[in-house]
Amino acid sequence: MAAVNLNHQAFHKALSEGKVILVDYWAPWCGYCRRIGPAYEKIAEEYGNQLVVAKVNIDDEPLLAQQQNIEVIPTLILYKDGKALDAVVAPESKAAIDAFIHKNLG
Amino acid sequence: MTYDMIIIGGGPGGYTAALYAARAGLKVAVLEKLSAGGQMALTSQIDNYPGFQDGVDGFQLGEQMQQQAERFGAETVLAEVTGVELKGKEKKIITSEGAFYSKTVVIATGADPRELGLPEEKALVGRGVNYCAACDGMRYRGKTVVVIGGGNTAVADALQLSRIAQKVILVHRRDQLRATQVYHDQLLRTPNIELRWNSQVAELLHDGKLTGVKLRNVRTGEESAVQCDGVFVSIGRAPITALFAGQLSLDESGYIIAGESTETNTPGVFAVGDVRTKVLRQVVTAVSDGAMAAHYAEEYLASL
Repeated sequence: MAAVNLNHQAFHKALSEGKVILVDYWAPWCGYCRRIGPAYEKIAEEYGNQLVVAKVNIDDEPLLAQQQNIEVIPTLILYKDGKALDAVVAPESKAAIDAFIHKNLG
Repeated sequence: MTYDMIIIGGGPGGYTAALYAARAGLKVAVLEKLSAGGQMALTSQIDNYPGFQDGVDGFQLGEQMQQQAERFGAETVLAEVTGVELKGKEKKIITSEGAFYSKTVVIATGADPRELGLPEEKALVGRGVNYCAACDGMRYRGKTVVVIGGGNTAVADALQLSRIAQKVILVHRRDQLRATQVYHDQLLRTPNIELRWNSQVAELLHDGKLTGVKLRNVRTGEESAVQCDGVFVSIGRAPITALFAGQLSLDESGYIIAGESTETNTPGVFAVGDVRTKVLRQVVTAVSDGAMAAHYAEEYLASL
């Protein structure tokens, strides 16, 4: 499964349904965001049946980015039961994203 | 399963080794922790890699090198290497995705620019924080930039940027430069370079994008904010070799000792690109190393 692009409606809908959501806040001009891309797709493949692996382009969704206090990108936020559980900025490796998910979801 | 060649690191050196080895019929895997390209993946325009008259995007070039190697059968595994056992005929690579075994190992882990170690530094890369004046300087035409460091690279960066930017502020933590004398004279003759001695960057100021730096005088402790559009961190590079210490000969700076053949002091283990002791660390010299490593690895495999 590929990572899904969320706009603010889809994000709030998934959140209100209490889904576990991992969101990568990114923008096309962000070099490090691109570097994370291939690893993030792999994460979507591996975790797609346990959580919603999603992306939000902050240029397209500036209000959502503002609401979620995204100051720098790439920021990954994990949501559970309608709230943000934890965040990681600019993870260094796919293994670091794996560790971030495991730390929070066990 | 035992591979003929495992390559640690998916930059230009690593994927060129993979390309040549796969084309020679070897069973090859590249272990990459994030995405292809290595350091060049953060450079949006490479103008000194031949064959691209209008320049080429480093990230795209990395992906193309990956796809080219994969076309001939090389595999890519997104895995972070956590340990290696390089002595002996069968080499073991321990990773976040399990253990891999191979007859030869090519180390292409590269080097990282030394960082300031400030919070959010990494997240501001590409948004005002830079590590390569030659790569990213062009973005600051007519703007104000801060260069941090006092060695030859820092001064050369400041001089190069002075021809592009409106103003360059060179920040150094001591009261004199480590750079060689020829640079000092040039520096003093350049009107748009301002020097800030005994100063360290205490904080990166930003509104999501860098807006300035807070400097701290290391003698007086006095702090001052400096507005700027970009910061260039020129405090050196660090090879990524911690995993290999004790198993391979490293020089005093941590680079793996290997000549143009890329052979290390351990049979069957090769070092390519920025991680190797060499004079010129460029994409072109990394790809050249990759081809050499594949050649000497084939020779080594034939001798087994």
